[in-house]
Amino acid sequence: MKRTFTALGLSALVLIAASCSKDSENSGNAIPVYTVPTTYNFTNVDFSASNTRLGMATEMSNLMKNAILGPLDGAKLKAMFSNTGAPFATAAYNTSGIQIKDQTAALFQTDVPGFIDSLVKVSQSAQPASRGVAGVGKNAAGVPTYALTGSGINYAQIFNKTIMGGLITYQIVSNYMDGGISSSVNNTTVVTGSGTAMEHNWDLAFGYWGVPIDFPTNKTGVKFWGSYSTQVDAGYPANKTLMDAFLKGRAAISNKDDKTKLAQATIILEAFEKLTAAAALQEVKEVKESINDNIVRNSRLSECYGFVYSLKYNPKKKITDAKINEILALFPKNFYDLTPVQLDAIRDAVAAQYGFESVKDIL
Amino acid sequence: MRKSIYAALIAASTLLAVQSCKKSGSSSSTDNSSSFDNKGMLTNISTNIILPAYTSFQTATVNLDAAVSAFNASPDNTKLLALQAAFQATYKQWQAVSVFEFGPAETATLRVNVNTYPTSVSQISSNISSGTYDLSTFANLSAKGLPAMDYLLFGLGADNNSILLMYTSDITAANRKAYLAKLSAEIKAEAAAVLTGWSTYKATFDNSAGVATGSSTSLLINQLVYDYEILKNYEVGIPAGVQSMGTTFPTKVQAYYSKMSVQLAILHIQAIQNIYLGKSAQGDGPGLDDYLIKADAKKDGTSLNTTIQNQFAAALAKLQGLTDPLSDQIKTNPAAVTAAYTELQKLTVLLKTDMTSSLGVLITFGDNDGD
Repeated sequence: MKRTFTALGLSALVLIAASCSKDSENSGNAIPVYTVPTTYNFTNVDFSASNTRLGMATEMSNLMKNAILGPLDGAKLKAMFSNTGAPFATAAYNTSGIQIKDQTAALFQTDVPGFIDSLVKVSQSAQPASRGVAGVGKNAAGVPTYALTGSGINYAQIFNKTIMGGLITYQIVSNYMDGGISSSVNNTTVVTGSGTAMEHNWDLAFGYWGVPIDFPTNKTGVKFWGSYSTQVDAGYPANKTLMDAFLKGRAAISNKDDKTKLAQATIILEAFEKLTAAAALQEVKEVKESINDNIVRNSRLSECYGFVYSLKYNPKKKITDAKINEILALFPKNFYDLTPVQLDAIRDAVAAQYGFESVKDIL
Repeated sequence: MRKSIYAALIAASTLLAVQSCKKSGSSSSTDNSSSFDNKGMLTNISTNIILPAYTSFQTATVNLDAAVSAFNASPDNTKLLALQAAFQATYKQWQAVSVFEFGPAETATLRVNVNTYPTSVSQISSNISSGTYDLSTFANLSAKGLPAMDYLLFGLGADNNSILLMYTSDITAANRKAYLAKLSAEIKAEAAAVLTGWSTYKATFDNSAGVATGSSTSLLINQLVYDYEILKNYEVGIPAGVQSMGTTFPTKVQAYYSKMSVQLAILHIQAIQNIYLGKSAQGDGPGLDDYLIKADAKKDGTSLNTTIQNQFAAALAKLQGLTDPLSDQIKTNPAAVTAAYTELQKLTVLLKTDMTSSLGVLITFGDNDGD
């Protein structure tokens, strides 16, 4: 009897070791044994809804680029936000039955019309951009590049970065990594093509990240956070962190491994906040790379501002609203007046908050 | 018997655990020639190229500042000529130091502080008429440094007599002199700070091993390529219209007002070439050429180093075929200027792509637009 017990105990030890489960300290509980694939090639994956919303955001962003050509149609942009009146060039978006607006953080919903109005106003200026004068700015090569307010703010970029927080991060942290995978969500009934409800939620989150299923080996077509997680990878290994967690979590869900699922959800949730900060630091670096081109520098500073501001939309954020405002206050009132001291203060505040001091200049 | 089986099973399972839990090794940057003496190369470059260049530059900035003081004390044509000569000497010497934007120069953001061009005449004029300005803002980068002095010493009038009037009888003459003095004082202070910084930084630089991002070799190569791109794009390409579908911008050349753009471009590419070769007054020491040879780097079957050296020669030849003022030549013979750009662009590929991948160095600066 004793021998059998010992043998069983040893077998369990071997099994636990072999699966390399992090829960090995809970030896004794039956932990599902399954393999985690190296790409997101699970069965019944459908994140087309996420793709559609990212596509809608892209159309809005592309339309905003026309601010350098002439007056923008603000009404159309607002219609795109809520998908009313068939505003998209892509017909499928118009008939999709979904929209961006109702998926976004409340604050973002109130911010967007303001962003649009500001950009429209700039686009109506016939003057070249300069300090105190809204208009279209040209880069060093003399090419019209960005529409800036008199304070040097590029609202097209403010929008581009805040939507990453107000839509994507918001949905991932508050929905898909939370209620979307709670025990009250169905994880037994498999719907052909989209999996269980819980699997589907996880897949939608993965789709929102904006990377191909064999990422990061394949980096084609990365967009929004997929593009940025790659850009900051040298200083913050977001690509591996997120891909590993997404793969492990999806496998865990399919195999009813709740503990692993929740652990991965926490990783993803925290990673998105950290990724936002890393992106802000990456923009500081980009400001420094365009340091003596007023127009380009202001646009990149706008990107940096957008990322920092967008932290406000994250209901699971660790940073406080007071701290966010403290960092935002480090930006000059007029972006044209930016000094090296201010820029480094912004960099240092973000780096200190998120433990990026050792990589703050290489992100 | 039981105990030994037990022990054996424990051992076996532990071994299994270790094997399956083994993390895949993190990939380190490839160093194709681990036997290359990085330290020898870095020491040669810092001792025989960087430090002498910074020393000469610092001397030139001291002379420049002194010439400004003498001129401001009593502006006349003789002192203006002396000041212009001191300025030109400084600008020439700058071409030999602009590559080294790491360590002390990076801390001082020397390159953009000393040489942001084209300068903004409106920003300079606004600063002078108001009399109050904060030279540390990024917006004032295009209102200071050598390019601003270029305008203030050569661009205020059609000849030296009319330029002189701006420092004597003009209503803002006093402000202008004060502004000029601030600019030369700042350049002098920066040059001194960087040279001082190198007295302690040199040891760090020389002893930095490997080619990982942040290593001296990586920094040197990255800044060499970055500075080379500035030469190609800002001294030649953009003014010649290559990034604007043929619309030229002749006034955007380096040293537009003092009309020494071609002269400076030649000095600049020669300086970059010397760094690449490890060549100095002390002779041809270890450089990036030797590194590529050691790595047996090839391009299309031939030695990459040979290809690079040939392309340096080809680009230099095209630049030597141009005449100052470059701004005029862009208008009268744009084909010659774009031909020079074409040769410069070929060298970009060799340096930025082929050389870096052969040595396992990552280019850390991006040219991507916000996305």
